[in-house]
Amino acid sequence: MAAVNRDRFIVRAELRVGNDSVISYGFDLTSSSVFVVTEWNAPVGTTVSLRLSFPRILDPIDVTARIADIRVAGEPGEPAGVGLVFDEDSAGACLLDELERVESCGEASPSAERPYRVLLVDDSWLIRDMFAYGTAKFFERPGALAIDHAEDAEEAWAKLAKSTYDLVIVDYFLPSEDGASLIARLRGDARLARTPIVAISVGGRDAREATISAGADVFVDKPLVFRDLFNTLRVLAERRERARPVPERKAILVFDDSPFALALTRAALESAGFTVAIAADLSSFERQRVAFDPDLILVDVQMPEAFGDDVASTLRGWHGVEVPILLVSSLEQSELERRAQRAQASGYICKGAGMSELVRRCRELLEVAP
Amino acid sequence: MEDLHAKFLPQFVVLARKRLALALTAAIARDHSATSKVVRELHTLAGEAGLLGLHEVVPLARECEHKAKALHASHSDADADLLVGGLRQLEGVIERIGATAPKAGNS
Repeated sequence: MAAVNRDRFIVRAELRVGNDSVISYGFDLTSSSVFVVTEWNAPVGTTVSLRLSFPRILDPIDVTARIADIRVAGEPGEPAGVGLVFDEDSAGACLLDELERVESCGEASPSAERPYRVLLVDDSWLIRDMFAYGTAKFFERPGALAIDHAEDAEEAWAKLAKSTYDLVIVDYFLPSEDGASLIARLRGDARLARTPIVAISVGGRDAREATISAGADVFVDKPLVFRDLFNTLRVLAERRERARPVPERKAILVFDDSPFALALTRAALESAGFTVAIAADLSSFERQRVAFDPDLILVDVQMPEAFGDDVASTLRGWHGVEVPILLVSSLEQSELERRAQRAQASGYICKGAGMSELVRRCRELLEVAP
Repeated sequence: MEDLHAKFLPQFVVLARKRLALALTAAIARDHSATSKVVRELHTLAGEAGLLGLHEVVPLARECEHKAKALHASHSDADADLLVGGLRQLEGVIERIGATAPKAGNS
């Protein structure tokens, strides 16, 4: 079988032998072989079923392969895994055609009007610097790849709400909310669900299983195989779909010290079509307010750190915030009304009125049809 | 909203039981240092119940919150007993809701 010269890219590899099933990733893909990173192994010569894919590059392709080599973990960047050689009858012309299609597509569209936009969610500055270095090294055309950065899930969610990205790379170990949780949120959001996601981590099998279960397309171990990862990004950049207009969704920031109230409110507002960010304390609220740039702010009144009416009053008077602010509380209606007026809030919602009323008021204020 | 109600009700019941247990322990033991925390817990309970549309729970929780505030000011046995009585009544309603709610994690 002829080899394809194109630089190699990372693929999702789903491997099955009898009752054993492994979802991992592979690199060094050619038309006749691939190396799959996994702690699982079987004797050399064992036949396995293999599905290879990568969103927007390689449609799922099923092949039969034989274990030709077993590698134990070596130096950093040399993970354990199995070298697989494809059964020619199984792979046949199909895989070869696919890889040639990838290669020819790259040649056909060497220029682009806009960069391929990647959001890298990682709290490590070193990784950020490595991506900047990789971008300069692996992309000949300046501006072909644009990497934006978020240090935690909260910041990432705020950026995803306001911008469009072609790919999201998520570290598993993030402060406060882990990468798997962020990936699950992405997959649960109608607008973002189809965005390709690459999870990365030093966490090995546990991190891989958690992120793949949450919906990541591919998991790649740290230290990253930068050559293959950037070749993957380059292929993606060359093959990316033209940007499609994204329907605008109004953004609501909810500030409440009750995690339960935050989760319930977020679920109700998201199901009503809003983009929602939440904050359980003042510092988180201030960060989200700046990063998320909400169209509406909902503030609980009685919280340990501050009264919501004082927060609203400060936003209006000190920060000059003009977007609607609603006080949300289980206080008596008369007291809530008085506090809302004094704070120059746009109004109030009694928690006792329930979620339907809360959603209705948000729609009303933001002039969004049900 | 029905699916959200079904999803979040079991979590609410678990949280409400914890809040009530804390309040009852403090009130029965006459632990006045914990009363301000009890007030906050009952206020939060009322808010969470309101968001879920549990109209039977909200006024009882609010009433207990007021009783806890009174106890916080008076430190009297009479106010402590009133609070315990209110909490028992609220506990009964929560347990009735819990008996009909799906188990947490099954939703």
